[in-house]
Amino acid sequence: MAPKMKKFKKSSKNPIYDTNWCDMPPEIKVKCIGKMEFKERLLLRCTAKAERSLVDSQKIEFQNGEFWADDEDIVFKLNRGKNSNFLKSPKNINVAVGFLKYIKKVGVFENLKLCFGDLFTDNEQFNTDDGLFAAKKVEIEQCEMDNVVPSILWEIEDGVESIKINVDRKVFRQFDELLEISNMWIETNAKVGFTFQASIYKEGSFAAFLEHFTDSIVSKDERRVRIRTKNPDIHILLERGLDEIVETDDIPQFSRLRVIPAEMKKSEYDNNCKEWISIMDPDVYESESESEEEWPEYFGISFDEDEDGDDFDPVDYYTL
Amino acid sequence: MSSTEQGTSSAAPAEPTTAPESAAAPEVPESFYYVHGKDKVVHKVSAGALQHSALIHGMISNLGYTEEQAKANPFPFENIDGDILQMVVDWCNQHKGKPTPPEDTNLPKQKEKLFDLVLAVNYLEIKELLTYCCKQVAMMVKGKSPEEIREIWMIPTDAEDEAAEKEAKKRAGKEAAGETAAAAGDAK
Repeated sequence: MAPKMKKFKKSSKNPIYDTNWCDMPPEIKVKCIGKMEFKERLLLRCTAKAERSLVDSQKIEFQNGEFWADDEDIVFKLNRGKNSNFLKSPKNINVAVGFLKYIKKVGVFENLKLCFGDLFTDNEQFNTDDGLFAAKKVEIEQCEMDNVVPSILWEIEDGVESIKINVDRKVFRQFDELLEISNMWIETNAKVGFTFQASIYKEGSFAAFLEHFTDSIVSKDERRVRIRTKNPDIHILLERGLDEIVETDDIPQFSRLRVIPAEMKKSEYDNNCKEWISIMDPDVYESESESEEEWPEYFGISFDEDEDGDDFDPVDYYTL
Repeated sequence: MSSTEQGTSSAAPAEPTTAPESAAAPEVPESFYYVHGKDKVVHKVSAGALQHSALIHGMISNLGYTEEQAKANPFPFENIDGDILQMVVDWCNQHKGKPTPPEDTNLPKQKEKLFDLVLAVNYLEIKELLTYCCKQVAMMVKGKSPEEIREIWMIPTDAEDEAAEKEAKKRAGKEAAGETAAAAGDAK
């Protein structure tokens, strides 16, 4: 004999149907919630405490999430694919922080773009929130550098594939980025494939790198320096983007740092710097070819072009 | 006990062969099983159709019934209404041996049956149908306000929930007191 299916308590009102939502076991409710769009989930969680806790226990996947704010407006856009968009303009900063907190709890993003300006610079609630953004690719743009960007970086869950930060060169020049990143990779035992690219507007970075890692150098020439790390299985390779177009005296200079396997041979080096320089600054090779090339995807990194389209816009791409 | 013949006889898929048609292996007759719900109406269903139900498929595999034994021992699903079981059997027959489509348009239009179907399908472990049903349930609240959702799905408000809980506790307390008093009376 088959066991009886469990019937759950009924509402006090006259039932429309013999069996209804409240008769469903939680595992079925959760399955149904999983089929709902974000808006319906938010509405359902407003009906009762029990439904709220069920809705909040479920993650929801988004293709794209964009959180954008300036002095006047705050706009949050979420997208789960075709015909599934959610737009929210929080009335004030507290509502915005509350919504972001909720999004960190339930949202799982393929692409997440955060452009907060200086909205959250002094917002303690935002800067101390211990919730984490779950996303594969994160892009941080026009965010205040001292508090907001570090807060966001701390609030990104493990498993992120790429983080792109677009920062003003004036700010970026304060960092000795090649040394900082290399040291960080050595300390954190970074994985093979991690890549950092930068266009550098000051002279002497390559020399400073050589000097700093003098005791760790495995090999060096005009275009490359390879250093060992604490992990005998991995090396760090610094490459200068030099070819018939980009020369040693040009400003900016283009550099690429990569974590490589220690057994990688010199013959396996990638000699085509055009590909990765074009990602940072498409204008460099523009005169050579007017055709638009597709930007390749790098393991651990992706880049976008400068959307302003200003030839002299001082934007660097700072990627971890 | 009445009986409805829901199953359709079909041959098991033959192995691809290059031999002439006349030399093809004889068709293996399909086996049938019998199920009934609360209304005791027996449905004859092919093993192929029943494969959708992990629960029934598991039962069949363990029993190893002959046709006669299967007929004499229909699987009883006393917890499932007859019309709901009929819907499930129909769906299994329609999707027998076929890849399930991403959307199912054959789900019950009467929403009052949908939740019963969900419970039955969940119990019978028919994964694809459960997915469709859950989607259908989710669609019920599309574009509705929280108040409308509460009304359609009979979701008690927090206040109603608390009141019901208090009432239940009060009732339980009274019953316990009554039992204690009765026990004391018996002891005297």
